[in-house]
Amino acid sequence: MKDMVKKTIFLMVMSYVEINIAATLSNFFIIFPITFLGYSFYVYRTNSNANPIEAFLFGLLVDLIHGSYFGLNATLFCLITYLINSYSNAFKIFSYLQVCLFFGLSATAYVGFTQLVLNIYNFSYITLLVSSFFNIIFCILVAVFTSYFPKISRLKI
Amino acid sequence: MARITPTPGQKILYFLLVSLGIGILYIDINTNSFQEIKHGYKSLKISSFYILKNISIEPVRRVLNLTKSKKTLLEENTNLKKALDASYLNNYLISRENSFYKDDNILKYPLLDDDFKANYSLAKLKDLDPNIFKCCDKHRMYIELFSNSKEQSNLESVVFNKSGIIGQITNDGNYLEVILLTDVSHSIPIKSISDTFFCNAKGSGRANIIICSYNPLIWDEEILLTKTFYTSGLGGIFPRNIKIGNVINILDISPNLREIEIALSANPLDDEIFGVFKN
Repeated sequence: MKDMVKKTIFLMVMSYVEINIAATLSNFFIIFPITFLGYSFYVYRTNSNANPIEAFLFGLLVDLIHGSYFGLNATLFCLITYLINSYSNAFKIFSYLQVCLFFGLSATAYVGFTQLVLNIYNFSYITLLVSSFFNIIFCILVAVFTSYFPKISRLKI
Repeated sequence: MARITPTPGQKILYFLLVSLGIGILYIDINTNSFQEIKHGYKSLKISSFYILKNISIEPVRRVLNLTKSKKTLLEENTNLKKALDASYLNNYLISRENSFYKDDNILKYPLLDDDFKANYSLAKLKDLDPNIFKCCDKHRMYIELFSNSKEQSNLESVVFNKSGIIGQITNDGNYLEVILLTDVSHSIPIKSISDTFFCNAKGSGRANIIICSYNPLIWDEEILLTKTFYTSGLGGIFPRNIKIGNVINILDISPNLREIEIALSANPLDDEIFGVFKN
């Protein structure tokens, strides 16, 4: 229960950050899904398999906070949880770069799907490409950070 | 320790949840069935913010005001600001560029003691997500009337700020939901100054841009960049001859379809005080 409350607060904080920086980043054609990436990192770092119902409910919570259509984040959170759980052992033989590419491209797919649903009339390939580049760079920076500051990166949510 | 990949049972659960998610998404997009939950959440968020502010910041501010003996001055300042905002809106209404009212004498000040005599009500901004406004197709805003009389419905009332019309009310719950002119599901009938060109301008989903599509073979008036457009009043909602904006782009899609992009003269992000016309 305590764990769930912690994770919920973590997601709400992430959503708050995402909502507040989105307007600034949109001027540079960037969509940075930090909530989705944060949840993906959590599923990746956890020792046990994340529960699909938990992923679904967290997705619905994010839908509510972001004011998007219900089911959008719920579906995408379920899918990323399934993917990460399926490849959890394969990740161990991946290099950091490959893992970063996986998360960066997952975030790009997330941006693509959400834009298709929320912004179909003004779908922008420039935004998708720039966001893709930005998200991959961000994931690489996180990997570099965890390599140089392993004590901080070992902290559990 | 190695993690176990999803078992067939878990895979079925994932499949069911993804299907459920897609189902909910389809229902929400097509029927807006979850609007009440979303409105409830927004109301809760806004109310909690104000309650928290009243509990935490306001008492401190009140004490500070008392110690500095500025309370009266602050109240006067608030009233003056409200009056100033109202005068901006009044100025917009009686300016020569539009004709909300042909006769200025019928214009009644919204801060009169008798609210029923006023032609429009003042409202303050409660919620407008600038992220959604800048990125997405659905452009909505929530406002609250200063004098919230429930006796009169505000549905379909025109909302304006000191630069012009910004939208109309679609839902009058606790807070009034305003559909902005730029929402993709919104249309506003407009015309040129010469009264020889009419069209329905749809929201583009982009900030401050509406799009008017027409057949150039039927409407032969030459539309040039920077040309000004006005409301035609044909829908019966918006008053006639109110300035909407200027043409910023003209796209020839095909020989019988041309689109003109109009930059609106009123931006909802500019103000926190709005006027709502009474039906």
